Formats: sequence, C-alpha cells, structure tokens
Amino acid sequence: MDFFKKKRQWDKETDVLVIGSGGAGLVAALAARDAGASVLVLEKATTVGGTTAVSGGVVWVPTNHHMAEVGIPDSREEALHYMKRLSDGRSDDKLIEVYVDQAPAMLRFIEKAASIPFTALARYPDYHPEFAGGKPGGRSLDPGLFDSNELGDWKKHLRKSPIFGMTAMSVTEATDWGVFSNPLKLPFKLLAERYSKGFVCYGAALVGRLLKSLLDQGVQPMLGVAARELIVEEGRITGLRAEQGGRELHVRAKKGVVLASGGFEWNPQLVQQFLGGVVTHPNSPPGNEGDGLKMAMSVGADLGNMNEAWWCPSVVIPGEEYDGRQLNRGDFAIRSMPHSIIVNRRGVRFVNEAQNYNDLMKPFFAFEPNAYERPNLPAFLVLDQAFLDKYALLTIMPGQKAPDWLPRADTIEELARKVGIDPAGLAATVTRFNRFADQGKDDDFARGDSLYDRFYGDPAHVPNPNLGALRKPPYYALEVHPGTIGTKGGARVTVDAQVLRVGGQPIDGLYAAGNVIAAPAGSGYPGAGATIGSAMTFGYLAGRHAARQKAT
Amino acid sequence: MPEVEYSTVVNLPPEKVWDFVKDMNNWAPFLTGYQKHEILSETDSIWTLKGDVGVLARTVQLKAHVTEWNGPERVSFTLEGLNELVDGGGTLLMGPYTQAPGEAAPIVPRKSFFRRVIDAIFRFFFRRMHGPAPERAARPLPANGAASKLQFTLKMEAGGPTGPLVNAMLGPALLPAAEDLANKIAAHLEQAHAAK
Repeated sequence: MDFFKKKRQWDKETDVLVIGSGGAGLVAALAARDAGASVLVLEKATTVGGTTAVSGGVVWVPTNHHMAEVGIPDSREEALHYMKRLSDGRSDDKLIEVYVDQAPAMLRFIEKAASIPFTALARYPDYHPEFAGGKPGGRSLDPGLFDSNELGDWKKHLRKSPIFGMTAMSVTEATDWGVFSNPLKLPFKLLAERYSKGFVCYGAALVGRLLKSLLDQGVQPMLGVAARELIVEEGRITGLRAEQGGRELHVRAKKGVVLASGGFEWNPQLVQQFLGGVVTHPNSPPGNEGDGLKMAMSVGADLGNMNEAWWCPSVVIPGEEYDGRQLNRGDFAIRSMPHSIIVNRRGVRFVNEAQNYNDLMKPFFAFEPNAYERPNLPAFLVLDQAFLDKYALLTIMPGQKAPDWLPRADTIEELARKVGIDPAGLAATVTRFNRFADQGKDDDFARGDSLYDRFYGDPAHVPNPNLGALRKPPYYALEVHPGTIGTKGGARVTVDAQVLRVGGQPIDGLYAAGNVIAAPAGSGYPGAGATIGSAMTFGYLAGRHAARQKAT
Repeated sequence: MPEVEYSTVVNLPPEKVWDFVKDMNNWAPFLTGYQKHEILSETDSIWTLKGDVGVLARTVQLKAHVTEWNGPERVSFTLEGLNELVDGGGTLLMGPYTQAPGEAAPIVPRKSFFRRVIDAIFRFFFRRMHGPAPERAARPLPANGAASKLQFTLKMEAGGPTGPLVNAMLGPALLPAAEDLANKIAAHLEQAHAAK
C-alpha cells in the first residue's frame, strides 16, 4: 500500500552514485558521465584516490594498442590462457574473458577522457613471463608524470603515496635510472625541483588526471563522507545512507549505486573471518575497512575469493606514520637484490625471494600440522654490508650509516641469536646460498632464473643479477611481515559488474568494482597493474551499464 | 641550506624571558612535533621530534649542542641528526623592544611579497596538520620599554645524495616550526605573568 508509506527524505539525488574515489570509482564516474548520467562520488577519506593513488599507477591491459609501438605482439587467446592458469581455479572464466575483451576499450576511453599519456612498458615483464601466454613486457602501462597544479584548489585533496609521493619519476624513468640497483645515480636535484613544483607520479599521476577530467565535467567528489547502508526499495537499491561529520546524509541514486570502496585489509574482524593468511601489516591506506563488502553482504550479495589478497611483504621503519598509523612499506625489490636472503626462524630459506610479491607471500602462510604452527612466520630478510654498500635499504642510502633500529652483528650466528633465528640453521643456509651465488644458480628456489626476477635485480651483478654472497660483515636482519596491498575477495559480479545475490541473480541497482569484488584474477597476479586494470575495467563496465538503466 | 627567521614581541622585559628560556625543560615541549627530550649535560641534549617529511610522518632524533649561552641576550646551538642525515642549528635572540607610539606588535619580519605568500600557504597547511600556535592578538605595548623582542633563526640541511630532495621537503616546514616555538614561548610567558 504505497499510499501509506512514509515518504523518504533525500538530501541529495543523482543518477549514478559512486562510493570510493580510487581507480574503480573514478572510471565508473567518468563512464557514467560519458553515457549522459548525472554522477555523485563519495569518498570517506579527506583525499581522493584510495589505494590507486598510493600504487605504482601502472595499468595491466593485455592486447593494448600501445604494445605495437614497442613491437610486442599479443592475442586474446594468449591472454586468456595465461590469466586462467594464474587464477588457479578461483575465478569465473566469464570475468576473465570480459577483462581481456573490455580492458583495451576501457584504456582507449580513459586515455581520451582524461588525456593520460600512457606508454607501454616494454621491459616490465608479466609476473610469470615464462608461462604460456605470458609476455616479457608491454601489457603494463605507465601513466607518466602529472603536474598537480592542474587540479587548482583540489591539488591538496590528491592522495599521495608515502613512498613514491615525493619522488616524481615515471615508471619508465625509474626503470631507466635503475631506481633499485643504482640508487646513487638518481637525479635528486631534478626530483627536488619536481617536488617543489608539484609534480607527482605513479598512482597519484593516474588519479590526478582522472580527477581533473571529472572536475572539468563539473563532478566534485564529496570528501569525508562514509557510506553506511544501502537503501532497498521493492527489491532494488535506490540509494544510500551515509555519514558526514556525524550527520546523516541520504542520497538517492536513480539508476544505480557503484561500490568502489576498496578491500577490507584494515578491518581486523573481517581479516580474521575471511583471509587465508595471517595479515598483520597491510600496506594500503588505512581507510580500507570493508565498508562496501559489509553493505553488499547486508543486501544478500554472493561472495567469492574471500581468502585471497594481493599479497605483498611489508617491512617497517619504527616511527614512520601515514594517515596516523604505522607505515608498512611494501617490499617490492629489496629482497630481489644480491647479498640478501629471506629465512624463517629456523634459519632456512623457503621461497624464491625475487618471486613476484603476490606469490612470494603464499609460502609464508604454510602450515605444519605436527607442530600445529606456521614455520615461516616470523620471517627475516638477512643481508650483509656488501648490500648496504651498493643498494638502498628503505631510506638508508648506500654508504650511509645503518640506523639503530636495524639489528646487526659481526657474525651470522650472533645476528641470528639477536633476532631469534636458529644460529646453526642460518649459518648453514648462508654457506649453501653463497655457493649458489658463486655459481650463479640457485639450486633450491631458482632465484634469478625468471625474467621477472632479473627485472628487479642488479644488471651489473654477475653471474646472476639476483644472487650475491653474504660474506662482508656486519650482517643485518629485518623482519618481513605478512602484508597486502589490498584484499581481493568480495561480491561476485556479472560481466556488467552488477552485484550477484546468493542464488545467482543480479541485485537491481547495485554494481561493484575494484577490491570490493571477487577479483577476476582469482589467486593470481598476472602483471604490474592487474589490480588497477581490473578495477578500472569493471568500473568502466559498471558506470556504462548503470547509466543506461531506466531511472527509478 | 633551508634557513628561516621569525621574530615576535613579548610583553615582558628580557630578564623575565631569559628566566624562562634558560631552562630547556621549560620550553622543550613547545617544539613542533615534540615527543621527548633528554638533558645530557649543561650544553648537550637529545630531542625526539615527530614531523611531517613530505607525505609521511617520521620520528627524528636530534642532538642539540649549545655553542653560546649568553643570557639574557643570546643562545646559539647546533643540531645533529642521530637517525637521519640532517644537520643544522639556530639562534634565539632576546632584547628590549621599543616601538613607535601606538604601533602594534610586529608578528612577522618584513619579507618579499612572494615569500610572504609562500609562507602564508605553508602556515595554512602546517596548521591543518598540527593545529594552530596560540593566537596572540596584536595590540599596543606598554610605553615603558618593558617589552622584549624574541627572534628565532633556524636552519636545517639534509646531507647525503638525497639531500637536495629532503631539503625541498624540509624547507616548507621550518618557518612554521620557528614561528610555533617563538609564539608558544611568548604566549606562555604572557599568560603566566597575567595570571600573577
């Protein structure tokens, strides 16, 4: 009896309501706007960009039109074969197909809409380049630099990475300059000049350009607005209850709501409930607390891939903070350099340290049933002075005195005792590893065999760019914590990014993209930017589809 | 080397200012990002400060060494980073302040227009992150010459290969830090003596 229903009071009204301002949300907003819909973007934080803004900003798009420019051929079949293998049976083949088929269209769309000068990274390999369908480069795209002054008053609201936010270099430059293998050669004067002028790179550059395009079209994200509850009317999502500074805000979405609110890695309860690993040190922005996941669950969404994340080991410099929390730095390259190994508390290596960060983490969670424990936690990066003479360790530049927080000792055994590793085990491991380093071949874990490993190695180090002996005291140890750049389990979606309810039918008016959905990549990580590539592709699909719906 | 200077006027004679300033324990907590300090000797102390470096916040330990201790006029010191490659130093100058009749207390020394605009922008962002220094309304001072000028200079320089980049980040933070310290000392003294 509609007549007796209390009329709902809406504070705001729009066609398509987007929750979250990372890559998924911004592209969903742009796509919906392009299709003629009015759009509103809500962001819980006081800055725009979410996890995308603190990332490398690279976008993984198989068969993209820039690959021809660098002479790397690709095909739909190769991409599908490769992605399906990496998903490890944890994804829906239809979603993999729609990613491979629609990502190139998404790329063309945002290139035009946001004037992004993408270039194909010819030397940045897929994360398993030797697998059938894998590529030595070209699928990962660099967004280049961005002058944040173009954002005008919104410049201050652009989220920046605590790691990359101060060194404005494109991914191409970082590769050419040897950012990991030759840090002393970086042009710090140029970087200082770019910093002072307001240039940003990586994820902030990508987000900056997407935001600029949105602002140019008159869409200003609302910041500091936390989404709390989806509003359901007659089985359809028609709006949202949000909170802004302690006040409630009811927003009507006439065509659809797009959840693009990121993962749940900063929500300890959800992590405990769902994740397969023991994640203690997420390295994403702390606002990723599973807001969208909880809302999707509350309206009956089906879930998938819940025990998975885009795993990434974390290391910590005591006292560093980002968004008011201890900063956990993702270790993308340190562990790939010569003169270093990762061991467990028995002093034993258990993984190819130069493996991609997602797959590297999986053995950290190995379970030993007899002892009923995880033998590879805690784990430690062990290195020697030869490492510190040549490479940067976090903020410690080559030749710089090691800070007090980094444990050290003159012998391997003494170091082991200091940090709680079995001394005999570590000594035996180092002896064995040094032999591998001398022969240039890791007989245990094949470190340095893959093109991917070598990309993150020191090309000047022979015979193997990833293997160097630990012989020069003092020796150092740094705990490597289980981390993630974002979870990748969540709502299951259709090929149009509509959220599926338990039972298999789409929930009318509800879409999702990014780390709030069950990732099409499943368990795997196909290549640099597969996170953002997937997020933006499903954001693109969501925005377009929602905009075409009949208004309620 | 990033270097700034900031001066303000305290409505108390220099001797009273010196009585307060001469004991570091009195004003150490007024330092921007103050966490703790440890007095090692009459001339040496270690300061732990938490400050924004570019995008993130970092805890820095600085060893302060007093090179000149000439009360009630001048204190000079050097700073040495213990966990970061930064060095620097500063001077705190105190002296009688005389002003033209009816002149309001000068808060910021005269700088170029461009510099004033830049400083204003940095102060705005700094306050957003750390909260404001105590507000002190400019007002006519007593004509008996009982006011002091408190001038604080501070310089910091990052060394090593990344020095140019770190200096680009440090530079904008220095003026608010100097301003914050001088204003907090002044506000504290004026409030303490007004209450008596």
